Amino acid sequence: MKKLNFNSIKEGDELPALTKGPITQVQLAKYAGASGDFNPIHLDNNYAKAAGLDGIIAHGMLLMGILGQMISGWAGISAVKEYSVHFKSYTRLQDRVTAKGVVEKKEENEKGKFLHCTVFVEDQNGEVKITGKVIVQCM
Amino acid sequence: MKKQKKIPENPVEPFYFEVERCKIKELCMAIGDNNPLFFDTGYARKEGYDDTPAPLTFATVMVFWGHPGLLEKVKEWGINTGKILHAREHYYYFKPVFPGDRIKCTMEIESFRSTSAADIIVLKFVFSRQDEIVLIAKMKLLADSR
Repeated sequence: MKKLNFNSIKEGDELPALTKGPITQVQLAKYAGASGDFNPIHLDNNYAKAAGLDGIIAHGMLLMGILGQMISGWAGISAVKEYSVHFKSYTRLQDRVTAKGVVEKKEENEKGKFLHCTVFVEDQNGEVKITGKVIVQCM
Repeated sequence: MKKQKKIPENPVEPFYFEVERCKIKELCMAIGDNNPLFFDTGYARKEGYDDTPAPLTFATVMVFWGHPGLLEKVKEWGINTGKILHAREHYYYFKPVFPGDRIKCTMEIESFRSTSAADIIVLKFVFSRQDEIVLIAKMKLLADSR
């Protein structure tokens, strides 16, 4: 099991960044089938335009999944105790996205040793797509 | 004239989701996450897990596929699901979820607020395995209320 060493991690340390993309229509079709979210604004360009968008947009939850990939790649699954995001801006086809994070606070209490991190996803222009927080328990 | 919203106290009956190994793989492949932890049982066991665990955002699969008519329900309450934004998603993890698990999902409306521009609704999903809570998810939605 992946064990993060509490003592060797400092506040301000960056999580290993993960760059992905470009986001493609095929990926959104795969994500719709996998997640069960078939909202046509993610799949049907005409529908998205009629809804006032430039074209189809990625599922916000795909971005949360990409950020989750970065987190579990770093910390594993069972160490992650809490993970939340705010959805900030749309992700469009061909966007390249990078998941990043930083250890904000180390905390040791009667329940254990914890890292409080801020995490986010930005695109190739530095526009933030989602921001979030994650709490990871160290052994 | 604003339409009357009918927000029920017990919005949906608890529903069940059986975790299939391939549904875990399918979500990871759609995300583009090729971590062997999610694909290779032998690797997962070496890492100390009972089997390949579900990834961090698997709750979304259990909600949409466990209760495919959920958004229709929300629409029945008078919420404009044609213009809906997902504002926030929050997970509390207690135990990993594995293939073969039969997960019970209980949904409640944690809060509902209506302004002149938007209906703001927070749905809370409690996922349990044999009466043990494994995961809690909260989803905040904003819908156009005009």
